[in-house]
Amino acid sequence: MIFREVEDRDLIAKARRGNVDAYNVLVSRWERRVFNYLLRLVANREDALDLSQDVFLKAYQNLRKLGDPAKFPAWLFRIAHNEAYSLLRKNRPEGELAAEPRAGESSARLFPMELTLAVESALGKLNGDQRAAVLLKIYQGFKFEEMAEILDCPVSTVKSRLYTALDLLKQTLAPVNMGGAQ
Amino acid sequence: MSCSSVDLKAYFLGELASGERAPVEKHLDACQNCREELERLSVTRAALLSLEDQAPPQRIAFVSDKVFEPRWWQTIWRSGPVMGFASAGVLAVAILVHAFARPAGAPSVSTAGVDTAQIEQRIERQVDARLDAAVAKAVADTAGRQSAEFARTLQAAEQRLDSQHHADLAQITRYYELKMGRLMVASNSVEARPAQ
Repeated sequence: MIFREVEDRDLIAKARRGNVDAYNVLVSRWERRVFNYLLRLVANREDALDLSQDVFLKAYQNLRKLGDPAKFPAWLFRIAHNEAYSLLRKNRPEGELAAEPRAGESSARLFPMELTLAVESALGKLNGDQRAAVLLKIYQGFKFEEMAEILDCPVSTVKSRLYTALDLLKQTLAPVNMGGAQ
Repeated sequence: MSCSSVDLKAYFLGELASGERAPVEKHLDACQNCREELERLSVTRAALLSLEDQAPPQRIAFVSDKVFEPRWWQTIWRSGPVMGFASAGVLAVAILVHAFARPAGAPSVSTAGVDTAQIEQRIERQVDARLDAAVAKAVADTAGRQSAEFARTLQAAEQRLDSQHHADLAQITRYYELKMGRLMVASNSVEARPAQ
C-alpha cells in the first residue's frame, strides 16, 4: 500500500493539542477492539458500551500523561482493564471478579451456534485474571510485556495465568472441537 | 531437549525469538506428544477465534466541550504558528478598526493627496472670485466717487462761469451805461456852445 493513513501518533499529537476531531478518528480505530474486550470481560453489552465511553473519555483527559505514543494500545487497554475491574468489584464485592456470561443474554446477543455458546461458556469458567489474559493474547494479540503493563503484574504472572487458562480451555473445548471436526 | 524444558505454549503464542524457535522445532520433529499438544492448542485457539467481534451498539464520539478543551490561551501558547497568526490577526484588526473609526468624510490616507489638490483648487477659485468681486466693487466705488467729484467740479465750474458771466455782463453794462452817459454829456456840451 503506497499511501499510509495518518499514524496513531499523529492523531495523538493533535488530540493532545485539543483537536477533538483527531481524537474521534483515534476512537473510531480502537472502539471495536476496546468494546469487544470489555464485552467478553463483563459479559454485558450495556455495561461494555458505558465502560467504552468512560475509557475513551478518561484516555482523552489523560492523554498528556502518555509518554510514548507507540505504547498507546497497551495504555488504552490498561485503562479499559481497570475500568472493567472497577465495575466488577462494585458488582461483586465479595471478591469473585469472574463475570460469567449470562445465559439469557448470550443466546440473545451472540450468534446462536453451538461452538459460540461453548466458547462463551468456557471463557466464563475462567476467573477474571485468566480470562483477561486470554482476551489480551488470543483476541488482541498483545505481547507478554504489554500484557504485564496492562495487567500491572510481572511477565511471569502473565504467563502463569495464560498457560493455566489455555489448559482449562483445552479441556473444556475438547468435546466441542472434536464434534466440530466430525 | 526434554518436553519439560520446551516452552511449547510460548512457541505456540509466537513469543519466542527466532533463535529460540529452532530448538523447539527440532524437538517437535522428534516428539509425538508435543506435536499432539501443539495441535490441541491450535484447535483451541481456532475455537476461541470463532467468537466473532461485535460492533458497538453505537459509535463513540466526542464533541468539542469547553470543559475538556484546553483554555484558549493554552492552545495559543502551545502553538507557535497559531501565536504568529494571532498576532498578525490582532494587528490587522487594529488597522481595520483604526480605518473605520475615523470621522465620516475624512479622507483616507490613500486619497489624501488628490483631495488636498482639489481643495486647494477650490479655495483658489473662491479666493479669486472674492478678489475679483472686491476689485470690481472697489473699481465701482472709485468710479462713483470720481463721477460724483467730476459732477460736483463741473457744477462748481459752471456756477463760477455763470457768476463770471453775470459779473462780466454787469461790468459791460455799466461800461456802456457810463459811455452812454459820457456821450450824452458831450452831446449836450456841443449843442450848448455857440457857433464861433
